[in-house]
Amino acid sequence: MRLEKCYFCSSTCYPGHGTMFVRNDSKTFRFCRSKCHKNFKMKRNPRKVRWTKAFRKAAGKEMTIDSTFQFEKRRNIPVRYDRDLMATTIRAMKRSQEIKAKRERAFYKNRMSGNKLQKKVENQALVQKHIHLVDTPQIKKIAQAQKVAEKNKLMDIDMS
Amino acid sequence: MGRLRRSRTHKGIRDIQRKYRTRQYMRDIDQIHDDIQPENAEKFAKPELDPDLPGMGQFYCIPCAKHHINKTSFDEHLRGKNHKKRLKVLKDAPYSQEEADRAAGLMPADKKAKKPKEEDMEVEKKAVA
Repeated sequence: MRLEKCYFCSSTCYPGHGTMFVRNDSKTFRFCRSKCHKNFKMKRNPRKVRWTKAFRKAAGKEMTIDSTFQFEKRRNIPVRYDRDLMATTIRAMKRSQEIKAKRERAFYKNRMSGNKLQKKVENQALVQKHIHLVDTPQIKKIAQAQKVAEKNKLMDIDMS
Repeated sequence: MGRLRRSRTHKGIRDIQRKYRTRQYMRDIDQIHDDIQPENAEKFAKPELDPDLPGMGQFYCIPCAKHHINKTSFDEHLRGKNHKKRLKVLKDAPYSQEEADRAAGLMPADKKAKKPKEEDMEVEKKAVA
């Protein structure tokens, strides 16, 4: 039995779930749920819809080129059952998953690495733009002192 | 105050239901992409007269998969926004199941290694001998 991937969101279509659409040129489209089917009917391009895997890959949000992707493949050539081969395959699957997860984490970290600096620059720019709204005690004190000085001057003029 | 409007209220809208009927199903972008290839230009070069189609099927816009009633409306369509939008959409490669698989981390199958032909084998044997 094969677990096909959803045409729209690339998640797995499990047996008994989702729908299949067969177009009049006999091309088949599998959908994991009605959400994906509806979006297909609306003729949306999965590459442009933000929640699909295709978007995330196309927009560089996820790792695309890596040697760990070479393990999971559609295999059309049947292999005779062999207990040892099975055991080693399962071990290898676990190991390759581990490596993949590690690399994905590294990719994510690298992708997010510039964020802190960018945020800082943006915040500074914002403060500079609205500096007149800043209300600190020191600035208040200076303004108060100026006011007092002016008053005193007026008083002096009056007195003389 | 909480939410006042009920969700899922679009069910009874007739226009929307009609829009997504199978009868209304137009050619998909990937099909149109095949249509506009130069090797398929012959198919659309001389359309037959079909009384069931608008304009006897003589004014067909291939990128938009749409028939027009006469030359003027066809020309107007070619000048329009929708047509230009469609041309822009058709510029990049169409989405496919293969791309969906790839995005899920499932690579396409390896191509079967070709068995060497018997004649070649004989040649090799001779060479060895």
